[in-house]
Amino acid sequence: MSDVTNAETQAATLGEDTAPGETMIELQELTKRYPGQETPAVDRLTLEIPKGEIVVFVGPSGCGKTTSLKMINRIIEPTSGHIIMDGEDVTTIDPNQLRRRIGYVIQQIGLFPHIRVGDNVATVPNLLGWDKDRTRARVDELLDVVGLPPDQYRERFPKELSGGQRQRVGVARALAADPPVLLMDEPFGAIDPITRTRLQNEFLRLQEELQKTICFVTHDIDEAVKMGDRIAILQEGSRVAQFATPEEILTNPANEFVEDFVGTGATLKRLKLTRVREVEPTEALTGIVDEDRDVLRRRFEDSEWTAMLLLDEQRRPIRWLRGTDLRSSRPVTEVGVRARAIVEPQATLSDALEEMLLGAAGVAIVVDKRGAYQGLLDVDDIITAIQTMKDAQAEFYRAAKLVDPEAEGAV
Amino acid sequence: MSTTLTPPDAQDAARRQVARDEDAASARRDRRANVVRYLGMPIFLLVVLVGLYLWVSGQELDSIEARTLTMDNLLGQTRQHITLTVYSTFFVLLLAVPLGILATRPKLRKYAPAVIGLGNAGQAIPSLGLLALLFYIFRTQPALPSTGTFPVVVSLVGYSFLPILRNTMVGLDQVDRFVLEAGRGMGMSNRKVLRSIELPLAVPVVLAGVRTALVLNVGTAALAFLFGGGGLGQTIFSGFQLRRTPVLLTGAILVAVLALLVDYLAGLIEEKLTPKGL
Repeated sequence: MSDVTNAETQAATLGEDTAPGETMIELQELTKRYPGQETPAVDRLTLEIPKGEIVVFVGPSGCGKTTSLKMINRIIEPTSGHIIMDGEDVTTIDPNQLRRRIGYVIQQIGLFPHIRVGDNVATVPNLLGWDKDRTRARVDELLDVVGLPPDQYRERFPKELSGGQRQRVGVARALAADPPVLLMDEPFGAIDPITRTRLQNEFLRLQEELQKTICFVTHDIDEAVKMGDRIAILQEGSRVAQFATPEEILTNPANEFVEDFVGTGATLKRLKLTRVREVEPTEALTGIVDEDRDVLRRRFEDSEWTAMLLLDEQRRPIRWLRGTDLRSSRPVTEVGVRARAIVEPQATLSDALEEMLLGAAGVAIVVDKRGAYQGLLDVDDIITAIQTMKDAQAEFYRAAKLVDPEAEGAV
Repeated sequence: MSTTLTPPDAQDAARRQVARDEDAASARRDRRANVVRYLGMPIFLLVVLVGLYLWVSGQELDSIEARTLTMDNLLGQTRQHITLTVYSTFFVLLLAVPLGILATRPKLRKYAPAVIGLGNAGQAIPSLGLLALLFYIFRTQPALPSTGTFPVVVSLVGYSFLPILRNTMVGLDQVDRFVLEAGRGMGMSNRKVLRSIELPLAVPVVLAGVRTALVLNVGTAALAFLFGGGGLGQTIFSGFQLRRTPVLLTGAILVAVLALLVDYLAGLIEEKLTPKGL
């Protein structure tokens, strides 16, 4: 009876937010045994990676997650087992041909230090023999996509970039020939926390458009929860302890190992599951920088607000203005305080909360991808979101226990 | 792109102006430093040569000295000296660089210590001893000439083999393995990785070895005259044997100038061939 319940709820959770997609990569009994070692580093790993999803391999160090990833593009050759990609067995084909179809991003980035950023990005197109114009257009397009204006960055050398910029170039290089599959080995691991959060958000936004099939390795469960459509929690020898959506893993860990690995603070981690765009932002009192000051002041005085958010011509937030600021004679761009705590829609509530706590105003300003103002988010919004999640969770467990068709319908 | 876009304000502009001024100032400093670096050594060597000439001209030379210190004689020996150095450097590069590359390939890696050991032995033997040894060996082989350019070049190759071999291996070894992994991960063949990543990145270290070897060869070639190879060693030695200080000094200073000049030229080449961005 209880087995049925488990299977059913699992199927329900999986079916909920993922369309029944095709499998892009199938790992069959993939094994790596190093000579002279008793136990295999990867022991018969079998996994199906759906098309267009980010699957995160996460586990303690030494569990074989990186080895597993590197067997997919055969940087490490498997001892036995098969890799099926898009229906084709690629276990024995020419590895160089295979790798040109797979984007590869590693923690150490591995940019070629002696060639310029543009040529780094052009690596795979050059290997594939694209003509110059096509390659150049593609390089510029990609540098733009990762937020490095091509005219400024194309001719630079890697050492002239910051760590975050280098990793952007690394991502652009991996995407150059538009491979359907990306392998990412702790891509944001060596980057400072603020830049890492930013890169993660940007990457998620990018993935929304690109819909690549991505294998992503990390040792950080928080990153896994944030980045993954699905998470494979791996134990020693790359044995799969649980392979499920982040929600499923946080609410319904398969065993003690998963529970321990996910650790405490599951509620706070769930904040990383909810994106800013899923919460309705509140409207603020706003004014545009080129509006007449008297108009601004009247609007402020007619409202209940204690401050007004000043936007520039592109509706990007610039400053917070108070009553005294509006009455002073100095230009509006010089009074008040600079608007901080700005978050994009794909940032998580956890990011937003952090920004709020750091900023003085106690609110986060939500902007779209061009930086234009969308609304405000305050601590109350987040508490409401947590409450909603808790209710859903309680509901979920009740449904799982009762297997009551009505209760299940309520989920 | 940035989540914390802030409008540029007056302070930023001022800071940028300061930064530009600093850049311009440092560029001026760089240019001045460059003049010293590029012209310092040739000017110094020229001064030494002119000084030597004036000093020798001011001496009252006896017949032996006058016979040894003719322009023809010295130029001929210098030419021989350069020929020996160039030949031996050419052949040692031809041998040691490919061997260094082979010895660092994964499949042959296990032989690397043996190769290094061989090179070490070559350099551990004193240069004169190595020359004598080769001379002796060549004499027992009727097919091989035991005097002249050939045995000298062979022994110079043996002697300068190690620095080039070792630097080739070290140069290839120090290439960041993640850079190589990225290259392989994008589908570069092993040969392509070697040609477009490993070798360019190893160039600075390999060339440092070449520079060392060149200077060593200029010095060791001074012993070539013992085996009929000619070179400036002749002048040094006759000055020494005949106790003619002007002759001894002229030979010694010419060898030193040649060594410094070769080092300077090799430095220029090294700078030219080192990839930008490193």
